[in-house]
Amino acid sequence: MAISAGQLAFYYLAAASVASAILAVTRRNPVHSALWVLALFLHVAGIFLLVGAEFLAAVQVIVYAGAILVFYLFFLMLLDLPSEAAGPRFGAHWPLGAAAGLAFAAVAWYAHGAELAPTPALTAAEDPSAGTLAAVGMVLFTRFALPFEIASLILLAAIVGAVVVARKSES
Amino acid sequence: MVPVGAYLALSAVLFGIGLIGFLGRRNIILMLVSVEIMLNAVNVSLAAFSHLMQDPRGQILALFVIAVAAAEVGVGLGLVIALSRNRPGASVEDLTQLKW
Repeated sequence: MAISAGQLAFYYLAAASVASAILAVTRRNPVHSALWVLALFLHVAGIFLLVGAEFLAAVQVIVYAGAILVFYLFFLMLLDLPSEAAGPRFGAHWPLGAAAGLAFAAVAWYAHGAELAPTPALTAAEDPSAGTLAAVGMVLFTRFALPFEIASLILLAAIVGAVVVARKSES
Repeated sequence: MVPVGAYLALSAVLFGIGLIGFLGRRNIILMLVSVEIMLNAVNVSLAAFSHLMQDPRGQILALFVIAVAAAEVGVGLGLVIALSRNRPGASVEDLTQLKW
């Protein structure tokens, strides 16, 4: 069976995102970890493009790779790094954490394999506008208008909360 | 084309890697980065389901996940700043004031 371009793109993006996630979790230098997470975010944006979620891919690149990651890098530069990079990377209990992560991945893999194996393959959308900005925007501003406003309220609360938490106390 | 199970398997593997990072790393900032990896894994499966069911609601949910992730980063890193003002460094093993 010939491998189509879509399959090739998916397997490249999946392998690259898993590899960059592993590197992000295991690198000693936190700045290197953050840069591998940047690679992960960009590859995940490519996967969003493959499933026809163009708007989500754009938001992923702008918000995650653009804003959130720069914020992390800013804080990594702000805090004391050389002493952090010198110490051990993992806590004493890291085998437990690794066991929990591997067990979760195995269980999730097994669960979807049982339930979703016979579902039809992802094909090109019958409705070509299903993932476009217009379709997402129509749903977002009609049916999900209230959650959208609540999301803006959450962001406002987070801004105020971050300022209150991080400021220097007067006393 | 790629079956939807492959997307969900990728999502499960990414979530597991994020979980390992969150539970295993000592640096509090890298623990937050691992949370971001887990949120991305969830977004992958939401987008795959959205495509499978031809329903934009999965993408809407993923957008809300991204908004909440942005809020989480703001508050979480504010807490890191407040912590590092009291004691320098970003290792969670130094933060034992609440332990008794």
